[in-house]
Amino acid sequence: MIDITRIEAACSEAVLAASIGYEPAKIKVWEKAIETESEENSRWILEMLLENAYTAREKRLPMCDDTGIPYVLIEIGRDAKINGNPAKIIDAAEAGIAEGLRRLPGRPMAVKGDSFDRITQEKGLYEDSGMVFPSPVRMKSVSGSKIKITVLLQGGGPEIRGRTYRVFHHHNLDTFRTEIAGWAVEMARLLGCTPCVPAIGVGRTHYEANCLMMDAMAYGVFGEQNDLEKFITEKVNESNTGPLGIGGKITALQTFSRIGYQRASGIRVVSMRVGCIVDPRRHSLILE
Amino acid sequence: MLYNISTPINKKINGITIGDRVEISGIIYTARDAVMPKLVEFINAERLEELSVNLSGSAIMHTAFSPAGYGPTSSNKEEIESTMGILSKAGVRFHLGKGEIKQNTIDEISEFGSVFIVVPPASALLQNRLVSKRVVAFEEEGMEALHELIVNRLPGVVAAANGMSIFNR
Repeated sequence: MIDITRIEAACSEAVLAASIGYEPAKIKVWEKAIETESEENSRWILEMLLENAYTAREKRLPMCDDTGIPYVLIEIGRDAKINGNPAKIIDAAEAGIAEGLRRLPGRPMAVKGDSFDRITQEKGLYEDSGMVFPSPVRMKSVSGSKIKITVLLQGGGPEIRGRTYRVFHHHNLDTFRTEIAGWAVEMARLLGCTPCVPAIGVGRTHYEANCLMMDAMAYGVFGEQNDLEKFITEKVNESNTGPLGIGGKITALQTFSRIGYQRASGIRVVSMRVGCIVDPRRHSLILE
Repeated sequence: MLYNISTPINKKINGITIGDRVEISGIIYTARDAVMPKLVEFINAERLEELSVNLSGSAIMHTAFSPAGYGPTSSNKEEIESTMGILSKAGVRFHLGKGEIKQNTIDEISEFGSVFIVVPPASALLQNRLVSKRVVAFEEEGMEALHELIVNRLPGVVAAANGMSIFNR
Protein backbone atom coordinates (compact mmCIF):
# COMPACT_ATOMS: atom_id res chain seq x y z
CA MET A 1 0.00 0.00 0.00
CA ILE A 2 1.44 3.34 -1.03
CA ASP A 3 0.38 6.21 1.18
CA ILE A 4 -0.32 9.36 -0.79
CA THR A 5 1.80 11.42 1.61
CA ARG A 6 4.86 9.59 0.25
CA ILE A 7 4.31 11.28 -3.10
CA GLU A 8 4.70 14.66 -1.41
CA ALA A 9 7.88 13.55 0.37
CA ALA A 10 9.30 12.02 -2.83
CA CYS A 11 8.76 15.21 -4.83
CA SER A 12 10.41 17.27 -2.11
CA GLU A 13 13.42 14.97 -1.97
CA ALA A 14 13.72 14.82 -5.76
CA VAL A 15 13.96 18.62 -6.02
CA LEU A 16 16.99 18.56 -3.74
CA ALA A 17 18.65 15.56 -5.33
CA ALA A 18 18.23 16.94 -8.86
CA SER A 19 19.78 20.28 -7.91
CA ILE A 20 22.92 19.33 -6.07
CA GLY A 21 25.07 17.26 -8.35
CA TYR A 22 25.55 15.23 -11.50
CA GLU A 23 24.45 11.62 -11.81
CA PRO A 24 27.34 9.11 -11.98
CA ALA A 25 26.86 8.34 -15.70
CA LYS A 26 27.06 12.04 -16.54
CA ILE A 27 30.29 12.36 -14.56
CA LYS A 28 31.81 9.58 -16.69
CA VAL A 29 30.83 11.36 -19.91
CA TRP A 30 32.12 14.66 -18.49
CA GLU A 31 35.47 13.14 -17.53
CA LYS A 32 35.83 11.78 -21.06
CA ALA A 33 35.03 15.27 -22.39
CA ILE A 34 37.87 16.72 -20.30
CA GLU A 35 40.26 14.16 -21.79
CA THR A 36 39.05 15.00 -25.31
CA GLU A 37 39.18 18.77 -25.01
CA SER A 38 42.46 20.10 -26.37
CA GLU A 39 41.94 23.85 -25.81
CA GLU A 40 43.62 24.75 -22.54
CA ASN A 41 41.08 27.37 -21.37
CA SER A 42 38.20 25.16 -22.37
CA ARG A 43 39.59 22.22 -20.42
CA TRP A 44 40.06 24.54 -17.43
CA ILE A 45 36.39 25.53 -17.67
CA LEU A 46 35.27 21.89 -17.90
CA GLU A 47 37.35 20.99 -14.85
CA MET A 48 35.94 23.92 -12.90
CA LEU A 49 32.34 23.03 -13.78
CA LEU A 50 32.89 19.45 -12.66
CA GLU A 51 34.37 20.75 -9.42
CA ASN A 52 31.22 22.88 -9.08
CA ALA A 53 29.08 19.74 -9.28
CA TYR A 54 31.20 18.02 -6.61
CA THR A 55 31.10 21.12 -4.38
CA ALA A 56 27.33 21.33 -4.75
CA ARG A 57 26.99 17.69 -3.68
CA GLU A 58 29.37 18.06 -0.75
CA LYS A 59 27.87 21.29 0.59
CA ARG A 60 24.29 20.60 -0.53
CA LEU A 61 24.13 23.80 -2.56
CA PRO A 62 22.37 24.29 -5.90
CA MET A 63 24.77 23.70 -8.82
CA CYS A 64 23.14 26.64 -10.58
CA ASP A 65 21.45 29.66 -9.01
CA ASP A 66 18.67 29.34 -11.58
CA THR A 67 17.06 26.46 -9.75
CA GLY A 68 14.56 26.08 -12.56
CA ILE A 69 10.88 25.50 -13.15
CA PRO A 70 9.95 22.07 -11.77
CA TYR A 71 8.34 19.44 -13.95
CA VAL A 72 6.83 16.31 -12.39
CA LEU A 73 6.22 13.04 -14.17
CA ILE A 74 4.25 10.41 -12.23
CA GLU A 75 4.11 6.85 -13.57
CA ILE A 76 1.50 4.80 -11.75
CA GLY A 77 1.46 1.04 -11.92
CA ARG A 78 -1.96 -0.29 -12.90
CA ASP A 79 -1.85 -2.64 -9.91
CA ALA A 80 -0.65 -0.02 -7.43
CA LYS A 81 -2.59 0.15 -4.18
CA ILE A 82 -2.88 3.73 -3.01
CA ASN A 83 -3.81 4.73 0.51
CA GLY A 84 -5.58 8.07 0.23
CA ASN A 85 -7.69 9.94 -2.27
CA PRO A 86 -6.18 9.40 -5.76
CA ALA A 87 -7.73 12.71 -6.81
CA LYS A 88 -5.20 14.36 -4.49
CA ILE A 89 -2.09 12.91 -6.14
CA ILE A 90 -1.42 16.10 -8.08
CA ASP A 91 -2.00 18.24 -4.98
CA ALA A 92 0.52 16.08 -3.11
CA ALA A 93 3.08 16.47 -5.89
CA GLU A 94 2.67 20.25 -5.97
CA ALA A 95 2.96 20.49 -2.19
CA GLY A 96 6.14 18.39 -2.29
CA ILE A 97 7.68 20.59 -4.94
CA ALA A 98 6.96 23.71 -2.89
CA GLU A 99 8.53 22.13 0.18
CA GLY A 100 11.57 20.99 -1.80
CA LEU A 101 12.14 24.45 -3.21
CA ARG A 102 11.96 25.98 0.28
CA ARG A 103 14.46 23.44 1.61
CA LEU A 104 16.89 23.79 -1.29
CA PRO A 105 16.56 26.90 -1.24
CA GLY A 106 15.20 27.57 -4.69
CA ARG A 107 15.49 30.91 -6.39
CA PRO A 108 12.61 33.24 -5.42
CA MET A 109 11.65 34.10 -8.97
CA ALA A 110 7.87 33.70 -9.09
CA VAL A 111 6.23 36.83 -10.50
CA LYS A 112 3.40 38.43 -8.49
CA GLY A 113 0.04 39.45 -9.88
CA ASP A 114 -2.48 38.13 -12.35
CA SER A 115 -2.40 37.93 -16.11
CA PHE A 116 -0.87 41.14 -17.51
CA ASP A 117 0.97 41.92 -14.24
CA ARG A 118 2.86 38.72 -14.77
CA ILE A 119 4.00 39.90 -18.18
CA THR A 120 5.33 43.25 -17.04
CA GLN A 121 6.61 42.04 -13.66
CA GLU A 122 5.52 45.41 -12.25
CA LYS A 123 4.23 43.94 -8.98
CA GLY A 124 7.59 42.36 -8.23
CA LEU A 125 8.53 38.87 -7.12
CA TYR A 126 7.48 36.56 -4.30
CA GLU A 127 10.16 36.15 -1.66
CA ASP A 128 8.99 32.56 -1.12
CA SER A 129 10.70 30.20 -3.56
CA GLY A 130 7.85 27.75 -2.90
CA MET A 131 5.65 30.03 -5.01
CA VAL A 132 7.45 28.77 -8.12
CA PHE A 133 4.67 26.39 -9.13
CA PRO A 134 5.58 23.36 -11.21
CA SER A 135 4.53 22.95 -14.81
CA PRO A 136 1.32 20.90 -15.17
CA VAL A 137 1.99 17.51 -13.60
CA ARG A 138 2.02 14.68 -16.14
CA MET A 139 0.76 11.20 -15.27
CA LYS A 140 1.12 7.92 -17.11
CA SER A 141 -0.20 4.47 -16.34
CA VAL A 142 2.36 1.69 -16.59
CA SER A 143 2.53 -1.99 -15.79
CA GLY A 144 3.26 -3.17 -12.25
CA SER A 145 2.32 -2.06 -8.76
CA LYS A 146 4.82 0.75 -8.14
CA ILE A 147 4.69 4.51 -8.51
CA LYS A 148 7.68 6.24 -10.07
CA ILE A 149 8.14 9.95 -9.43
CA THR A 150 10.52 11.90 -11.68
CA VAL A 151 11.27 15.57 -11.14
CA LEU A 152 13.11 17.72 -13.66
CA LEU A 153 14.21 21.31 -13.09
CA GLN A 154 14.22 23.48 -16.17
CA GLY A 155 16.53 26.51 -16.16
CA GLY A 156 15.76 29.65 -18.10
CA GLY A 157 18.71 29.81 -20.52
CA PRO A 158 17.64 26.83 -22.64
CA GLU A 159 14.07 28.17 -22.68
CA ILE A 160 15.29 31.32 -24.47
CA ARG A 161 16.76 29.19 -27.25
CA GLY A 162 14.26 26.32 -27.38
CA ARG A 163 11.97 25.83 -30.35
CA THR A 164 8.95 23.80 -31.43
CA TYR A 165 8.43 23.98 -35.16
CA ARG A 166 7.74 21.95 -38.27
CA VAL A 167 10.44 20.32 -40.35
CA PHE A 168 9.89 19.36 -43.99
CA HIS A 169 11.47 15.93 -44.12
CA HIS A 170 11.19 15.27 -47.90
CA HIS A 171 10.89 11.61 -46.91
CA ASN A 172 14.60 11.59 -46.25
CA LEU A 173 16.19 11.07 -42.83
CA ASP A 174 19.33 12.96 -43.79
CA THR A 175 17.29 16.03 -44.76
CA PHE A 176 15.44 15.83 -41.47
CA ARG A 177 18.46 15.36 -39.22
CA THR A 178 20.54 17.98 -41.03
CA GLU A 179 17.87 20.62 -40.43
CA ILE A 180 17.50 19.92 -36.74
CA ALA A 181 21.27 19.66 -36.30
CA GLY A 182 21.39 23.20 -37.68
CA TRP A 183 18.95 24.29 -34.98
CA ALA A 184 21.10 22.69 -32.30
CA VAL A 185 24.29 24.35 -33.59
CA GLU A 186 22.63 27.76 -33.61
CA MET A 187 21.10 27.34 -30.15
CA ALA A 188 24.34 26.08 -28.63
CA ARG A 189 26.29 29.04 -30.02
CA LEU A 190 24.02 31.53 -28.25
CA LEU A 191 23.39 29.51 -25.11
CA GLY A 192 26.53 30.45 -23.21
CA CYS A 193 26.11 27.48 -20.87
CA THR A 194 27.87 24.83 -22.94
CA PRO A 195 28.63 21.94 -23.06
CA CYS A 196 24.98 21.38 -23.77
CA VAL A 197 22.68 18.38 -23.88
CA PRO A 198 20.19 18.77 -26.74
CA ALA A 199 16.82 17.11 -26.11
CA ILE A 200 14.52 16.41 -29.04
CA GLY A 201 10.92 15.27 -29.33
CA VAL A 202 9.25 14.45 -32.65
CA GLY A 203 5.46 14.23 -32.64
CA ARG A 204 2.26 14.92 -34.58
CA THR A 205 1.39 18.08 -32.69
CA HIS A 206 3.27 20.73 -30.73
CA TYR A 207 1.92 19.25 -27.50
CA GLU A 208 3.14 15.76 -28.39
CA ALA A 209 6.52 17.00 -29.54
CA ASN A 210 7.00 18.84 -26.24
CA CYS A 211 5.93 15.84 -24.18
CA LEU A 212 8.34 13.63 -26.13
CA MET A 213 11.15 16.14 -25.63
CA MET A 214 10.48 16.01 -21.88
CA ASP A 215 10.47 12.19 -22.06
CA ALA A 216 13.85 12.40 -23.78
CA MET A 217 15.16 14.46 -20.87
CA ALA A 218 13.60 12.15 -18.31
CA TYR A 219 14.67 8.81 -19.78
CA GLY A 220 17.83 9.54 -21.81
CA VAL A 221 20.85 7.54 -20.68
CA PHE A 222 24.31 9.11 -20.58
CA GLY A 223 26.79 7.06 -22.56
CA GLU A 224 24.12 5.66 -24.91
CA GLN A 225 23.12 7.38 -28.17
CA ASN A 226 21.26 6.17 -31.26
CA ASP A 227 22.36 7.20 -34.77
CA LEU A 228 20.27 10.37 -34.81
CA GLU A 229 21.56 11.44 -31.41
CA LYS A 230 25.18 10.74 -32.40
CA PHE A 231 24.72 12.78 -35.58
CA ILE A 232 23.36 15.81 -33.68
CA THR A 233 26.09 15.61 -31.04
CA GLU A 234 28.82 15.38 -33.68
CA LYS A 235 27.46 18.30 -35.70
CA VAL A 236 27.23 20.49 -32.60
CA ASN A 237 30.77 19.58 -31.63
CA GLU A 238 32.05 20.33 -35.15
CA SER A 239 30.87 23.93 -34.63
CA ASN A 240 33.86 24.58 -32.35
CA THR A 241 31.64 26.65 -30.06
CA GLY A 242 33.22 24.94 -27.08
CA PRO A 243 32.62 25.26 -23.34
CA LEU A 244 30.96 28.60 -22.51
CA GLY A 245 31.31 29.48 -26.18
CA ILE A 246 35.06 30.15 -25.92
CA GLY A 247 35.97 27.56 -28.55
CA GLY A 248 36.94 23.94 -28.33
CA LYS A 249 35.97 20.42 -29.22
CA ILE A 250 33.31 19.90 -26.57
CA THR A 251 30.11 21.84 -27.24
CA ALA A 252 27.64 19.00 -26.66
CA LEU A 253 28.04 16.14 -24.21
CA GLN A 254 25.26 14.02 -25.59
CA THR A 255 21.86 14.21 -27.31
CA PHE A 256 18.61 12.68 -26.07
CA SER A 257 15.64 12.09 -28.38
CA ARG A 258 12.21 10.49 -28.53
CA ILE A 259 10.22 9.89 -31.71
CA GLY A 260 6.49 9.33 -31.24
CA TYR A 261 3.59 8.40 -33.48
CA GLN A 262 3.52 10.25 -36.79
CA ARG A 263 0.78 11.20 -39.23
CA ALA A 264 0.89 11.02 -43.03
CA SER A 265 2.39 14.42 -43.80
CA GLY A 266 5.34 16.15 -45.40
CA ILE A 267 6.26 17.65 -42.04
CA ARG A 268 7.24 16.43 -38.63
CA VAL A 269 6.73 18.59 -35.54
CA VAL A 270 10.00 18.88 -33.64
CA SER A 271 10.56 20.26 -30.17
CA MET A 272 14.16 21.00 -29.28
CA ARG A 273 15.56 22.22 -26.01
CA VAL A 274 19.30 22.57 -25.96
CA GLY A 275 19.90 21.83 -22.32
CA CYS A 276 22.65 23.65 -20.44
CA ILE A 277 25.63 22.52 -18.39
CA VAL A 278 23.52 21.21 -15.50
CA ASP A 279 20.91 19.46 -17.67
CA PRO A 280 19.12 17.27 -17.24
CA ARG A 281 18.61 18.13 -13.60
CA ARG A 282 16.48 15.12 -12.84
CA HIS A 283 15.85 12.64 -10.10
CA SER A 284 13.53 9.65 -9.87
CA LEU A 285 12.20 7.81 -6.84
CA ILE A 286 10.20 4.59 -6.85
CA LEU A 287 7.46 4.02 -4.29
CA GLU A 288 6.26 0.50 -3.58
CA MET B 1 48.01 34.90 -19.23
CA LEU B 2 46.31 35.15 -15.82
CA TYR B 3 45.41 38.59 -14.51
CA ASN B 4 44.59 39.09 -10.84
CA ILE B 5 42.38 42.15 -10.85
CA SER B 6 41.27 44.20 -7.87
CA THR B 7 38.09 46.13 -8.51
CA PRO B 8 37.36 48.95 -8.89
CA ILE B 9 40.45 49.70 -10.95
CA ASN B 10 41.89 53.19 -11.12
CA LYS B 11 43.92 52.78 -14.29
CA LYS B 12 43.63 50.81 -17.50
CA ILE B 13 44.99 47.28 -17.50
CA ASN B 14 47.46 47.20 -20.36
CA GLY B 15 47.80 44.16 -22.54
CA ILE B 16 44.68 42.32 -21.48
CA THR B 17 43.22 40.50 -24.44
CA ILE B 18 40.83 37.77 -25.50
CA GLY B 19 41.64 34.35 -24.13
CA ASP B 20 43.30 35.72 -20.99
CA ARG B 21 42.16 34.25 -17.71
CA VAL B 22 41.20 36.59 -14.90
CA GLU B 23 40.49 36.35 -11.23
CA ILE B 24 38.62 39.32 -9.85
CA SER B 25 38.76 40.32 -6.21
CA GLY B 26 36.94 43.27 -4.71
CA ILE B 27 33.62 44.91 -5.46
CA ILE B 28 31.34 43.76 -8.24
CA TYR B 29 27.80 44.94 -8.88
CA THR B 30 25.03 42.62 -9.98
CA ALA B 31 22.34 43.60 -12.47
CA ARG B 32 20.23 41.94 -15.14
CA ASP B 33 17.11 42.45 -17.24
CA ALA B 34 14.97 44.30 -14.70
CA VAL B 35 17.61 46.70 -13.38
CA MET B 36 19.86 47.48 -16.35
CA PRO B 37 17.33 49.81 -18.05
CA LYS B 38 16.67 51.56 -14.73
CA LEU B 39 20.37 52.06 -14.15
CA VAL B 40 20.75 53.52 -17.63
CA GLU B 41 17.87 55.92 -16.94
CA PHE B 42 19.75 57.26 -13.93
CA ILE B 43 22.93 57.59 -16.01
CA ASN B 44 21.14 59.40 -18.83
CA ALA B 45 19.43 61.73 -16.36
CA GLU B 46 22.81 62.38 -14.68
CA ARG B 47 21.28 61.20 -11.40
CA LEU B 48 23.70 58.37 -10.68
CA GLU B 49 24.90 60.06 -7.50
CA GLU B 50 21.43 59.40 -6.02
CA LEU B 51 22.33 55.72 -5.98
CA SER B 52 25.12 54.38 -3.81
CA VAL B 53 26.95 53.19 -6.88
CA ASN B 54 30.40 54.14 -8.14
CA LEU B 55 30.75 52.88 -11.69
CA SER B 56 34.24 54.28 -12.29
CA GLY B 57 36.57 51.34 -12.96
CA SER B 58 33.86 48.96 -11.86
CA ALA B 59 32.76 45.43 -12.69
CA ILE B 60 29.12 44.46 -13.31
CA MET B 61 28.03 40.88 -13.35
CA HIS B 62 24.89 39.95 -15.27
CA THR B 63 23.18 37.96 -12.55
CA ALA B 64 20.51 37.88 -9.91
CA PHE B 65 21.45 37.29 -6.30
CA SER B 66 19.30 35.10 -4.08
CA PRO B 67 19.57 32.46 -1.37
CA ALA B 68 20.15 30.03 -4.26
CA GLY B 69 23.40 31.85 -5.04
CA TYR B 70 24.56 33.77 -8.08
CA GLY B 71 25.86 32.95 -11.53
CA PRO B 72 25.89 34.60 -14.93
CA THR B 73 22.72 34.92 -16.97
CA SER B 74 22.80 35.26 -20.78
CA SER B 75 24.40 38.61 -21.59
CA ASN B 76 22.85 38.61 -25.07
CA LYS B 77 19.36 39.27 -23.70
CA GLU B 78 18.09 42.57 -25.12
CA GLU B 79 17.90 44.58 -21.91
CA ILE B 80 21.39 43.52 -20.89
CA GLU B 81 23.41 43.66 -24.10
CA SER B 82 21.85 46.95 -25.22
CA THR B 83 23.10 48.69 -22.06
CA MET B 84 26.73 47.53 -22.16
CA GLY B 85 27.92 50.45 -24.28
CA ILE B 86 26.43 53.20 -22.14
CA LEU B 87 27.60 51.48 -18.96
CA SER B 88 31.11 51.38 -20.39
CA LYS B 89 30.88 55.10 -21.11
CA ALA B 90 29.80 55.59 -17.48
CA GLY B 91 32.91 53.80 -16.22
CA VAL B 92 32.17 50.07 -16.13
CA ARG B 93 35.35 48.30 -17.23
CA PHE B 94 34.40 44.66 -16.73
CA HIS B 95 31.14 43.18 -17.99
CA LEU B 96 30.81 39.71 -16.51
CA GLY B 97 28.34 37.31 -18.08
CA LYS B 98 27.99 34.54 -20.57
CA GLY B 99 26.97 33.89 -24.17
CA GLU B 100 27.96 35.39 -27.47
CA ILE B 101 27.52 39.15 -27.86
CA LYS B 102 27.31 41.14 -31.09
CA GLN B 103 30.28 42.76 -32.79
CA ASN B 104 28.72 46.24 -32.51
CA THR B 105 28.45 45.75 -28.73
CA ILE B 106 32.08 44.69 -28.63
CA ASP B 107 33.04 47.80 -30.59
CA GLU B 108 31.04 50.00 -28.21
CA ILE B 109 32.62 48.66 -25.03
CA SER B 110 36.09 48.57 -26.58
CA GLU B 111 35.88 52.28 -27.33
CA PHE B 112 36.13 52.87 -23.59
CA GLY B 113 38.70 50.15 -22.87
CA SER B 114 36.11 47.86 -21.32
CA VAL B 115 36.10 44.10 -21.70
CA PHE B 116 33.55 41.27 -21.64
CA ILE B 117 34.44 38.32 -19.47
CA VAL B 118 32.64 34.99 -19.45
CA VAL B 119 32.22 33.56 -15.98
CA PRO B 120 31.49 29.87 -15.46
CA PRO B 121 27.93 29.31 -14.22
CA ALA B 122 29.28 27.49 -11.23
CA SER B 123 27.06 28.80 -8.45
CA ALA B 124 28.27 26.45 -5.75
CA LEU B 125 31.93 27.37 -6.43
CA LEU B 126 31.13 31.07 -6.75
CA GLN B 127 29.33 30.97 -3.41
CA ASN B 128 32.63 29.88 -1.86
CA ARG B 129 34.27 33.00 -3.31
CA LEU B 130 31.70 35.43 -1.93
CA VAL B 131 32.91 37.59 0.95
CA SER B 132 29.87 39.81 1.47
CA LYS B 133 26.76 41.15 -0.24
CA ARG B 134 24.31 44.01 0.16
CA VAL B 135 21.51 45.61 -1.83
CA VAL B 136 22.43 49.08 -3.01
CA ALA B 137 19.52 50.07 -5.29
CA PHE B 138 16.17 49.00 -6.71
CA GLU B 139 15.34 46.79 -3.74
CA GLU B 140 11.79 46.41 -5.08
CA GLU B 141 13.15 44.07 -7.75
CA GLY B 142 13.90 41.34 -5.21
CA MET B 143 16.60 38.98 -6.42
CA GLU B 144 17.05 41.24 -9.45
CA ALA B 145 17.92 44.28 -7.29
CA LEU B 146 21.29 45.94 -7.80
CA HIS B 147 23.58 44.21 -5.32
CA GLU B 148 27.13 45.04 -4.34
CA LEU B 149 29.16 41.90 -3.80
CA ILE B 150 32.67 41.61 -2.48
CA VAL B 151 34.29 38.58 -4.03
CA ASN B 152 37.61 36.81 -3.77
CA ARG B 153 39.18 35.39 -6.95
CA LEU B 154 36.07 35.23 -9.11
CA PRO B 155 37.24 33.34 -12.22
CA GLY B 156 36.62 34.10 -15.88
CA VAL B 157 37.99 34.23 -19.41
CA VAL B 158 38.21 37.45 -21.44
CA ALA B 159 35.83 36.91 -24.36
CA ALA B 160 35.83 40.37 -25.94
CA ALA B 161 38.40 43.15 -25.77
CA ASN B 162 39.97 45.75 -28.06
CA GLY B 163 37.32 45.15 -30.73
CA MET B 164 38.15 41.45 -30.90
CA SER B 165 36.07 38.51 -29.80
CA ILE B 166 36.71 34.94 -28.89
CA PHE B 167 33.37 34.20 -30.59
CA ASN B 168 34.66 35.10 -34.08
CA ARG B 169 35.66 31.66 -35.18
